[in-house]
Amino acid sequence: MRFLTGVILTLALALNVPSLAFAQSSPAQSSPAQSSPPPAKHVRAELVSDRSGIAPGETIHLALRQEIQKGWHTYWRNSGDSGEPTQIKWTLPSDWQAGPIVWPTPQRIPVGPLMNYGYEGAVLLPVALSAPASAKPGDKITIGAKVSLLVCADVCVPEDDTLSLSLPVTASAGPADQKWGPAIADALTKAPKPQGLVAVFQSRASNVALAVTGSALKGADLKDAYFYPFESTVIDHAKPQAIERGPDGLTLTLAAGYGFQGGKSPPAMAGVLSIGSRAFEISASPGAPPPGASGLGPPVSAKGADGADLGLVAAATFAFLGGLILNLMPCVFPILAMKAASLAGHGGESAAAKRQGLAFAAGCVVTFLLLALGLIVLKGAGAAIGWGFQLQSPSVVGVLALLMLAVALNLSGLFEVGTSLQGTGASLAGRQGLAGAFFTGALAVVVAAPCTAPFMGPALGWALTQTSLAALTVFLALGVGFAAPFVLVAYVPGLLSRLPKPGPWMEVFRKALAFPMYGAAAWLAWVLAQQAGADDLAKLFAAAVIVALAGWLAGLGQRRVAMGEKHLVMTSAAGLLAILAFGAVVWPQDKGAELNVEPYSPARVAELRGQGRPVFVNYTAAWCVSCQVNDKVALSTHPVSSAFARHKVAYLKADWTKRDATIAAELANHGRAGVPLYLLYGTNGSEATILPSILTPDIVVKAVEAADKH
Amino acid sequence: MSVMSRRTMLAMTGVVGFAPGLAKASAMLGEPAPGFEALDADGRTRSLSEFAGKTVVLEWTSSDCPYCAKHYGSGNMQALQRKAVKSGVVWLTISSSAPDREGYFTPNTARAWRTKVGSHASAILLDGDGKIGRAYGARATPHMFIIDGSGRIVYMGGIDNRPYADPASLKGAKNYVANALADLKAGRPVAEPISPPYGCSVRYASAGSFQ
Repeated sequence: MRFLTGVILTLALALNVPSLAFAQSSPAQSSPAQSSPPPAKHVRAELVSDRSGIAPGETIHLALRQEIQKGWHTYWRNSGDSGEPTQIKWTLPSDWQAGPIVWPTPQRIPVGPLMNYGYEGAVLLPVALSAPASAKPGDKITIGAKVSLLVCADVCVPEDDTLSLSLPVTASAGPADQKWGPAIADALTKAPKPQGLVAVFQSRASNVALAVTGSALKGADLKDAYFYPFESTVIDHAKPQAIERGPDGLTLTLAAGYGFQGGKSPPAMAGVLSIGSRAFEISASPGAPPPGASGLGPPVSAKGADGADLGLVAAATFAFLGGLILNLMPCVFPILAMKAASLAGHGGESAAAKRQGLAFAAGCVVTFLLLALGLIVLKGAGAAIGWGFQLQSPSVVGVLALLMLAVALNLSGLFEVGTSLQGTGASLAGRQGLAGAFFTGALAVVVAAPCTAPFMGPALGWALTQTSLAALTVFLALGVGFAAPFVLVAYVPGLLSRLPKPGPWMEVFRKALAFPMYGAAAWLAWVLAQQAGADDLAKLFAAAVIVALAGWLAGLGQRRVAMGEKHLVMTSAAGLLAILAFGAVVWPQDKGAELNVEPYSPARVAELRGQGRPVFVNYTAAWCVSCQVNDKVALSTHPVSSAFARHKVAYLKADWTKRDATIAAELANHGRAGVPLYLLYGTNGSEATILPSILTPDIVVKAVEAADKH
Repeated sequence: MSVMSRRTMLAMTGVVGFAPGLAKASAMLGEPAPGFEALDADGRTRSLSEFAGKTVVLEWTSSDCPYCAKHYGSGNMQALQRKAVKSGVVWLTISSSAPDREGYFTPNTARAWRTKVGSHASAILLDGDGKIGRAYGARATPHMFIIDGSGRIVYMGGIDNRPYADPASLKGAKNYVANALADLKAGRPVAEPISPPYGCSVRYASAGSFQ
């Protein structure tokens, strides 16, 4: 056993023996006792300088140049999920100083499901070298560097190099070294520096939002934005970083790393924010993301032109089919049936019928194109005023979910939309001749609007992310599809008799179509839950209930209108409620005061009391309404959080949402069978004070002050 | 029945109830450890649930990695294993290297390696398809996890505070695993439950991400 250990030790030491190094002027001596040649190195390391000499008191830059074998890589100061950064130990004459490595922006090097940060190919790692004022011009000094680096491909090999460099001390600042001066200067310029960017980070349910704003980011192309942290425990390096743009900067959604486990949070997140061409050093402190860091959606990728072509054809086909199906909508069908019947009235005048058909098609297509133009203008304006149309923003998702719900309620018959519009349009469409046909087409599109969401939604959403030309093409296809059956009927009169007659089946069809819309609303609610968490989901549900109430009131109002009764109160109430519901979803909420929460355990309580700190234990559960109310009304307020901070109160949460025997036992100990229970352990070691079940900030603050007095 | 044994029984029921079907869950401090099942070097199927009620140490290793060699070459790891196993801890060494990558273990090569380095681990688990590694988010070798008697993860991270390959870095290093085991033995909560794992990357097969 000992013999084996000895053999292994010897082998390990032998592998780490420094082998022949590539130095600029003097190679290190190899041990004469070494009989076998050293293993081939994967990194050719040399020490270079940007000046050919250095003056007393001057600072120049040396650099460690690494020429890395193809397929291998060395590491950045945070190597990522594995690996080790290059280290340099300097041997300098007395009073000479070498600074830290100025790390160039690293590359991402994925290794299977893991992620490393480092360098491939060739890299220069500059280091500042300062000569003391006492240096004597004419001296030649030798700078030694013991470099230990890890280079990996499929395997990892630690490589050590002992390098040295001789530099003359000159009377005045010398010229730049021809070979390395420009290269080192370039490396220094490109290295990330602080540029006055303001960064904050906020821990969310399962990820961390990092918001960075500043003039350097305004108007920049952010599609390659990535955050390289200096510490290896703040983020999960392998997970992708979602980018949300804002007028002042961006917000990255990062997967939390070990540093956020156990209810903790790192005091700061420092690192490098790279946006492709440029990189900045940032240091984020905890805080809520400012509004200017989001709202413009994810970056639109300039590439994807080939993909877009195929996508355009597919989307146009889909839109054409959607347009065809739109004809069956209960909103549209009666009008078309009426118009088709009037076509039949032309009898054998097929030429006139054909012209009518084409005029109708023109009306449809023009209206759709106008709609498209309107949306393109909105999108352009939206980009300037900070609206996001994509599904990245929880507010947009919430609004869409409420919209889907409203459409579904409309389809279910709770209230009607556009009856007045239909009334106006009908008179226009009643006109005979080509103008009548044209306006019928336009009317049909307008009236189809409430029913089109399930089919137009995807085409619309996709079209808005593409170029204006693509959007117009999609809408054109929609219009053509929509008009096609009518045109067909105009050209083939025999079809007229085969058309299904309007009847009660349309109502049933319409009510059945409500259910996909309910499904869409439910799906969007799920998306919101993923993005924003349980609290925002609760807000959405509350807003949905208000929307349903508003819809019912609107329906009541409309029925009263039909019966000639007073409806103003009801209709305005409905309108106000609808505005309230949508506003609640869009309004950014003040998160209140964030308290530093730890999970509860009896051992932790004992430990904290041993440290002489007051301990506040909140026995709560997600399904306990009074607990949630107390949390929002009392515990998340600023007076309470500052009282906790002042008296160094530790806040422990005993979450009884799922069964927990320990917590149940503790509740029983205090004579309770359920939650909430608020215990405050004072500093004098006595029994815990039980706070009332209904808390106000005042009660908590007074109790904390009393507990800390003893 | 006393409260204590009732609690232990409840806890054990919890572990047995939790253990199967959690292979896809992510390892979080304080949460129940994902259950797993794998073949060991002696050809027996081992599972986390068979060690319910005991403290379990999971050690990810790779026979080719210089960081593991630092600990094995110096005898540091074996001594830690022996001390732990003697005090009733279960020590599982796991290799998640894929079949075509360095450090892959078959039962034969695992046994040969065990003899060569003198491992005192309770078992060496062969996780060639990377299932256990991915369930725990094991990213480096050595990467250590400690699971307490109630089945919860109480330590996750590196083995010590010297993330270097140089064997000289062992001198004066603070061994987080040894300290955590001492804390558990004394009935204290683990003082430093998290540390950055370091070493060579675990040699998974493909680019699929963790859950």
